[in-house]
Parts: sequence; C-alpha cells; structure tokens
Amino acid sequence: MGFLQILSARKVYQTPEGSSVQALDDVTINIRNNEFLTLLGPSGCGKTTLLKCIAGFEDLDGGDLILDSKSLRSVPPHKRPFNTVFQNYALFPHMTVEQNVAYGMEVAGVSKVERDRRAGEALDLVGLSGFGGRRPTQLSGGQQQRVALARSLVLKPKVLLLDEPLSALDRKMRETMQIELKNLQHAVGITFVFVTHDQEEALAMSDRIAVLAQGRLQQLDTPTEVYDKPANEFVANFVGTSNMFAGTVASISGDRVILETGNGRRLAATSTAFRVGDQVRLVLRPEHLTILARDETGDADVPAIEGRVRETVFVGSTMQVHADIGHGRTALVSHPHTRRGSSDIAPGAEVRIGYSAASGHLIPMRSA
Amino acid sequence: MKNKRQMLWSALLKGYGVLFLVFLYLPLGLIVAFSFNANPINVAEWTGFTLDWYATIFQGASVEGNFDAAFTESPERIFDVIRTSFVVALSAASAATVIGTATALALARHKFFGKRFYQALLLLPMLVPDIVLGIALLIFFVGVGIELGLMTIIIGHVTFLSSYVFVVVSARLAGMDTTLEQASADLGAGPLTTFRRVTLPQIMPGVVGGFLLAFIISLDDVVITYFIAGVGSQTLPLFILAMMRRGLRPQITALAVLILLFSLIVASIGLILRNRKP
Ligand SMILES: Nc1ncnc2c1ncn2[C@@H]1O[C@H](COP(=O)(O)OP(=O)(O)OP(=O)(O)O)[C@@H](O)[C@H]1O
Ligand SMILES: [Mg+2]
Repeated sequence: MGFLQILSARKVYQTPEGSSVQALDDVTINIRNNEFLTLLGPSGCGKTTLLKCIAGFEDLDGGDLILDSKSLRSVPPHKRPFNTVFQNYALFPHMTVEQNVAYGMEVAGVSKVERDRRAGEALDLVGLSGFGGRRPTQLSGGQQQRVALARSLVLKPKVLLLDEPLSALDRKMRETMQIELKNLQHAVGITFVFVTHDQEEALAMSDRIAVLAQGRLQQLDTPTEVYDKPANEFVANFVGTSNMFAGTVASISGDRVILETGNGRRLAATSTAFRVGDQVRLVLRPEHLTILARDETGDADVPAIEGRVRETVFVGSTMQVHADIGHGRTALVSHPHTRRGSSDIAPGAEVRIGYSAASGHLIPMRSA
Repeated sequence: MKNKRQMLWSALLKGYGVLFLVFLYLPLGLIVAFSFNANPINVAEWTGFTLDWYATIFQGASVEGNFDAAFTESPERIFDVIRTSFVVALSAASAATVIGTATALALARHKFFGKRFYQALLLLPMLVPDIVLGIALLIFFVGVGIELGLMTIIIGHVTFLSSYVFVVVSARLAGMDTTLEQASADLGAGPLTTFRRVTLPQIMPGVVGGFLLAFIISLDDVVITYFIAGVGSQTLPLFILAMMRRGLRPQITALAVLILLFSLIVASIGLILRNRKP
C-alpha cells in the first residue's frame, strides 16, 4: 500500500502540428513512504511528464493521483506537499542564495528569525554555509544544484521530486553527488522520486526503479531484481548489457528449462513460468559467461557455446571478450582475468563459453 | 592582389559608414549650432554667437536682445504646453504600461482560442498610418460624445502606446525561463505572489523600457494628437507646429534643442536599464 499512488496515469500532448503524443500510458506506481524511487528510461519516454503531473504543472488526462487516500487531481501545484528540484535548477536569479532558500518559508509566513535559522541549517546540510550572500550566477553548477536541493528540502516536503538533477555535472562531481544525495535521503527521511536516463545512476542510488519506455511502465522493482530478472527485452537491453537468445522451450525438468534457438543451438535456463513450446528469450549477462579452460567441462548438462575470439578489451577487473559464436552472432563475455585459462584467450582462439543454468533468465517473447 | 581588393572594400565600407553617420547627424548638429546663431531673421545664416534664444524661452521678451518680440512666445505659454505634454505623456504611458504588460502576460502564459489573431491585432495600431488612426479616434470621440481635450488626448495615446509596451514586454517575457514561475508555485507561492516576487522582477527592465518608449512617443506625437486635441489643450509638438506657421524663428531652434536633450536623457536611462542584467 503506497502512500502516494499513481493510478493508471494517462497524459496526451497535442502538438502544434495537430498530432498527439501519448506521453503517459496507463502508468501505475505505488510510491512508498521514505523510499528512493527512480524513474528510469530513455529520452522522451515520459519521465519529466510524470514528474510534472505529480507536481501539478500538468494535468492528467486519465487516471488518478492519490496521497493519503485523497485525490490530488484538483489541487493546484502550490498547494501540493511536494517540492521539485528542476533539471535546470530554476534558481531565482534576482535573489541571493539565502533568499532563494528562504523563499518557500517566506511565502508560507514563517517568521524572519525562524527563516534565517532554517535556511542556515539547510545550507549547512548541503555544505554551502557561507554562500548565502551570493547570487546563483556566482556559483558553479554543482553548487547551484545543492542550493536547489536546500531550497526544496528546507520545506520538509512529503515527496521530493528530482528531474535529472545530476545530468549537468561532470562525472566526478556526479559520483560524489550520487552518494551525497543518497546519504541525504537517509538523513532527512523524505521520499525521493528521482528521474534519470542513466541506468548506472539508477542502479547505484535507488531502493526501487521504475523503468519507463514510450510512456509505459516496463518494470517496477529493486535494482538487483531489475538487473537480474528484467521483465522484458527492453529492460534487459536498457539496464546493463545482455546477451540475448530467442528460442522455443524444448524440455523442462524441475525448474531446469532447455530451449532451442532457430539455429538449433540448445541453451539452459532456470524458470518455472513457462511450458514446453513457449516462445522465449534467454538473457545472459556478460559476467554470467566465462571462457572455459581446455580441460573444464562446465555445468554438467548445460551445453557450452562454441565460439572464436574476435577481440579482447582489458578493463582492469575483467577481460571483455567479444566472441563470434556462429550464425553471425557475437557474445560478450566478462571474464575475470585471474581465472584459469585466461592466457589462452587471444583473438582467433577457439573457445568454449560456459554458464550456469541458474544465471539464465527467461523472458516471454513479445507478442506481436 | 587579393589584399588590395580587400583594402579597397574596407576603405569603401568605412567611407560609407562615415557618410551614413553624417547623413544621420548633420541635421541634428545644424539645429544645435544654429540655436546659438545671433541672426534673428534667417536661422541658416551665421552672424555670430548668442544665448538670447534660450533666454527668451525662460524669460520671454523681457530679455535685452535683437529679436522681434512679436515672434516670441511667453515663458508662461511655453511652460503651460510643456506641462500639458508631460501630463499626457506620463498618464498615457503609465496606463499603456499596465495594459500592455497585462496583455503580454496573458498572451505569453495562457492558451486560448484566437490567440494568434489577437496577437496580430495588437500590432495593428503601430502599422496603421497615424493620420488614419487620428481620424478614426476623432470620429469615435465625436460619435460617442466625449468633448475633445486633455482626456481625449490621453485616451488616444493609450490606444497605440499599449501596442509598443506590449511588444517590448513580450520580447522580455519570451526570454524568461518559465520554470522560474513553476519553481515559485512549487515552493508554495500562489499566482499573485509568484507574479509579484518572480515574474515582475524578471520582466522589470522590459516594463520600464516599454514605459520610457511609450513616454517618448507620446511626447513627440503630432499627427494623432492634432486630430484629438480640440481647441483648449495644446501639447508641445502642436505648439511648435503652430509657431512654425509664422516662420522658422530662432526661438524654435532653441526649444528643439532642449527637447532633443531631454529625449537623449530618457533614451539613455532606457538603454542603461535594458542592459542591466536581470
Ligand atoms: N508540452 C508538450 N507538448 C507536446 N509534446 C510534449 C510536450 N512535453 C513533452 N512532450 C512529448 O512527450 C513525450 C515525453 O516527454 P518528456 O519530457 O516527459 O520526456 P522525458 O522522459 O523527460 O525525456 P528527457 O529524458 O529527454 O527529458 C515526448 O515525446 C515529448 O516530445
Ligand atoms: Mg525530461
């Protein structure tokens, strides 16, 4: 039971040319109290639209938004107990940092003494004490981002909405802020709804991830579940890298599933959700695959995949091996380079690729 | 070879630039120069330096000097029309600023049926020839039965000045980040507070610029004012026009230079305000 419920949310934009865009299509998400929820999806999938609908800057065309069992649809933005950190920060350029942070309290009629105290605390919290007198234009991007954060947090909203707040920062700054944001969320105990198109960021920060594509919710789950058990082909491709094989379930014994691809390749997976004859896709993450040493047999009844190394990329912790496995397909293997047999891996070498059936995740073939 | 050609071009361009400036500013320079010309009959024939013409504006015919008192207006009369002009310009520009700004906001922030048409309609008063607008206003006032005078001048000016303010403020609004207003609402501010604390400060340079532009245009409008002024009230430009009927007398040149000076000051304030960062 979520405390903020998005129920079958629908939003259609009319473009000036007269066509219409379905930005949200039947999206249902139960947001839990104090969770860090990430909306993840490619550009144009409707993340900002969903955030705007929650904040109230856009009206839903269908569905509902429920907070503490009351509908928010007729509540104007300035009366909703949410605050937003905008993608471009939207700091008021004609006010100082302190005035920006105090604005919400001033509007709410908080006394000057109280305002100053809380604004000071909020700036402290984001590590910007001493910057209160500056103008937003006199701050770096990262500092502006933190002012925007302080300006919202100081009001202790029930939900903090963040629209790609880290996208304008350089990599180093972004990684620092990811950790800071996560810590901050724990410290203040406020529900965060965080928008990003960066899957690594989503995996690193979230309690749960809602994956969106073309206005539809693809999967809503914890980062590990989303990564290990992608709900469909889109999620498998968008989150992390996948080796994917389409095929038909050939036999089942217990939870061990053997599927056969169109090329006659036999592969193993673990699942209880399918029956013989079902059309499925097998997802194997690169780190689930290993290059078997010459004398290794691998998992007893999992047929190894025969291939020829095309290219190897050493990335420190692992060796990324691109191997041709016939029928024009390439498998990506993330091979721990301390493992046995690593010295045999060189472009042109014939190799056998092994995996455990437990790591093979099956997803249903998208019905046309 | 190529270098020579470039040099020739550059020289031509410079020459053209100088010519253009001369063309633009020579008449203004001349009127400033001849406002100090002692020749009381022919303004354009230099006979010596004098400040008499400026003196007559402030002291009238009581000034000792070689001028024809019959062609000299009294300071009372001059200041009377200047006051009329300022009253008109201040009230018309103020009203136009409110109307123009409100209209610009409505058109920039709201969607409604016929918006494009309305936008085009707003630009019309700037495109319609003054003489047509003057006659139209006259017909309107006479038809409705409003007596011509100060009030009709002000109303008439407001009609077309609103368009100018609208254009200036719209340009400013177009450059404004709309997420600022969303941020304000997001932080709990109602529409009025958002307007007062966020929108207005952001568009202020445009509003002030629009006001100053309207003020200057009102101050120097002749054609439209001519039709709707009636007999009782006269603005400065109309007054000068009337003076001209009796010939180009030196006092007019001095008056013109003073107006020029004033316009320059107002324009400079406008430019300074506009270039100030929001
Ligand atoms: N005001 C609008 N009018 C018409 N179409 C719009 C409008 N706003 C968004 N859209 C369309 O709706 C879809 C979703 O847009 P949205 O801004 O929610 O995407 P997003 O997921 O936030 O993308 P990004 O990662 O690029 O910010 C897009 O196809 C976009 O073109
Ligand atoms: Mg977006």
